[in-house]
Amino acid sequence: MSINKLAGIIFANLGDEKLPELTSKRSLGSVPFGGKYRLIDFALSNMSNSGINNVGIIAKNNFHSLMDHIGSGRAWDLSKRRSGVTILSPYNGNSFENRIMAMYQLHGYFEQLKEEHIVIASCECIQNFDYQKFFEYHLKKDADISIAYQKMTIPDNETAPLALTINEDGKITDMLIKFNSGEECNMAVSSVIIRKDLLMSLVKKCVSANTLNFRQNILQDNVKKLNMYGYEVKGYSKHIASIADYFRINMSLMSQDVRKELFNPLRPIYTKVRDDMPTRYGLTSKVTGSLVAQGCKIDGEVDGSILSKGVTIGKGSVIKNCIIMQDTKIGENCKLSYAIIDKDVVIQPNRSLMGYETYPIYVAKQTII
Amino acid sequence: MYPKQEVVAMLLAGGQGSRLGVLTKRLAKPAVPFGGKYRIIDFPLSNCANSGIEAVGVLTQYQPLVLNEYIGNGQPWDLDGMHSGVTCLSPYQAVEGAEWYSGTANAIYQNIAYIDRYHPDYVVILSGDHIYKMDYSEMIAYHKEKGADCTIAVIDVSLEEASRFGILNTNPDGSIYEFDEKPKHPKSTNASMGIYVFNWDKLRKYLIEDEAKEDSDHDFGKNVLPAMLNAGEKMFAYSFEGYWKDVGTIDSLWDANMDILNPNVSLNLKNVYSRNPMMPPHHLGENAEIQNSMLADGCDVDGKLEFSILFSGVTVGKGAEINSSIIMPGAVIEEGAKVLYSIVAENAHIGKNAVIGGYPEDYPNRDDWGVAVIGADINIAEGAKIAPKAMVDSDVEV
Repeated sequence: MSINKLAGIIFANLGDEKLPELTSKRSLGSVPFGGKYRLIDFALSNMSNSGINNVGIIAKNNFHSLMDHIGSGRAWDLSKRRSGVTILSPYNGNSFENRIMAMYQLHGYFEQLKEEHIVIASCECIQNFDYQKFFEYHLKKDADISIAYQKMTIPDNETAPLALTINEDGKITDMLIKFNSGEECNMAVSSVIIRKDLLMSLVKKCVSANTLNFRQNILQDNVKKLNMYGYEVKGYSKHIASIADYFRINMSLMSQDVRKELFNPLRPIYTKVRDDMPTRYGLTSKVTGSLVAQGCKIDGEVDGSILSKGVTIGKGSVIKNCIIMQDTKIGENCKLSYAIIDKDVVIQPNRSLMGYETYPIYVAKQTII
Repeated sequence: MYPKQEVVAMLLAGGQGSRLGVLTKRLAKPAVPFGGKYRIIDFPLSNCANSGIEAVGVLTQYQPLVLNEYIGNGQPWDLDGMHSGVTCLSPYQAVEGAEWYSGTANAIYQNIAYIDRYHPDYVVILSGDHIYKMDYSEMIAYHKEKGADCTIAVIDVSLEEASRFGILNTNPDGSIYEFDEKPKHPKSTNASMGIYVFNWDKLRKYLIEDEAKEDSDHDFGKNVLPAMLNAGEKMFAYSFEGYWKDVGTIDSLWDANMDILNPNVSLNLKNVYSRNPMMPPHHLGENAEIQNSMLADGCDVDGKLEFSILFSGVTVGKGAEINSSIIMPGAVIEEGAKVLYSIVAENAHIGKNAVIGGYPEDYPNRDDWGVAVIGADINIAEGAKIAPKAMVDSDVEV
């Protein structure tokens, strides 16, 4: 199978700055999502479901929770005798200042890989994506580099959007970085496939020239020199660029069509599981339009919200349009709306927290209110 | 060479559980789903893990496919050690011939080699059809303290119930002087829970002797334990306090599930381990009304639930009503259907506006009423009515 020629690389910290509050104590990859997942689960599960057996996760800082989440990689079926998942962190006092320096310092890892091609992904994309089809396209076009893109309007908060100009054959003829016309364009999302030896030689060249921007110096500078192709991502695929996006995309899971596509039982999204009991609804509970993970105990009123595993909602409390992360305890008679409450928060009885749809309020991990 | 294990547990999981009818048509009783995400066998397996027992032999015979697959390498229960863990032991062929397990004692007899390789001091015999949480290490400590050859766990039952159980009559020091199998006039209310601790050298000797007896049923309760008592071995009763329920019948299975929803019952599912399906959190629609119920991952509910337990991946359509029922994984309850006091097995499909079971108060003659059961993969057509107490094992048209 051709897919065994493809190895995966996931940058776990890329885009940390898009969700500053949520990433203050964790990498973007380990930001909770959808009640029981972490953002990295999507890229990792997609790779696993596409038959990629070797995945390197490049983590530059704040990766404790990430390592705890990944463990041996078995939850994603990525714990094999000869392959599996490897967390690649800085060593010998180096730091991964950017993607190029990280790959340069990790050249030893890349060189020992038997796969000829690398797919480079990050964690800000929520999708159920078939890398195998993407790779087949890359091989069919005999491309040096293939870039997955989506037809979309670039989000306002996107830090360095990359817009592609593509001819009818799919070949990329031009690239614009940080140019936001406000109109629909072909925005590069989530992943790039590149031949390993080409990647390594470009990385070395960039380091010696001290031009260290992946998008600019590896992709844009070579658009005329190399054979680059664009691969359109269709179907449900969302790109998180801000906390408002994060909130909105979480809430999009309320649609049954979205859930059917994203959590396709034939290509499941895997995550580390905890042995929680099924969720318990009490006699005074009233829950509508919500997504609820296991291990919760609900005695209050919940509407339009996402509750992660192990959340407790006290009697008389009213929770509307909130994202409540795991093991948070909300006492009796609280009122919450448009709030993102991180893990292990305790909200004492009779408290009120109100945010707004475009500006959800955020309560940090382990806060007591 | 296997490292020594002080204790080896043997879990009897080969029984058909015929009283569960369609629920055990294609799976062994210990594999029957329970409590929203568990199977019955999760309870003894988790008890072993939580009691520090690292070698567990599971004796399978009747319909073992689901059970074997579920147990797998034992990892969910931490029973996947390099030289220990859980092993499924099914009947096998040998030079002397091939033989099914003819009784509980014979099943252990046929697996003496499995136990011997761990050189254990004690063997715990468990059964795979009870719901309870117990720390076996406390029972083993009691066994050691008493210097017993055999210790049997007992639970206090009411005098009326006592005639349904094996009753142990004991001296004040806890030693057993008499077994009374389903007595008409019970002398005590100490019912055997089917949990035994033996000194392995003693049990081994009695199993070999019992095997040689042609008139024996090779059963622990009927043959081995009485033989030991008659020979004057030291046998003690260990009183267990806490929740314990035999889930061998439809009614008791339904009761035990309902007990989980009852805050006054001391059955806590914490630290009971199981395999977890890979499904997203459950979703409740705009029309959902849920009270005093329990839901697992992957459900999609837009109807009304009261006093019910939904396993993973159950779909409940708009306007459907589920009361006092247990809906097993993957079942679909279409719009407007009613499921009352029923058990709906895996992947069954209840069509629109169908009515399954009924409220007990609508049946003045209580003999007409009971829990209705819909078998796995059964299709109930739109508008069909299934009476209470029915057991459905083929598709129903209108």
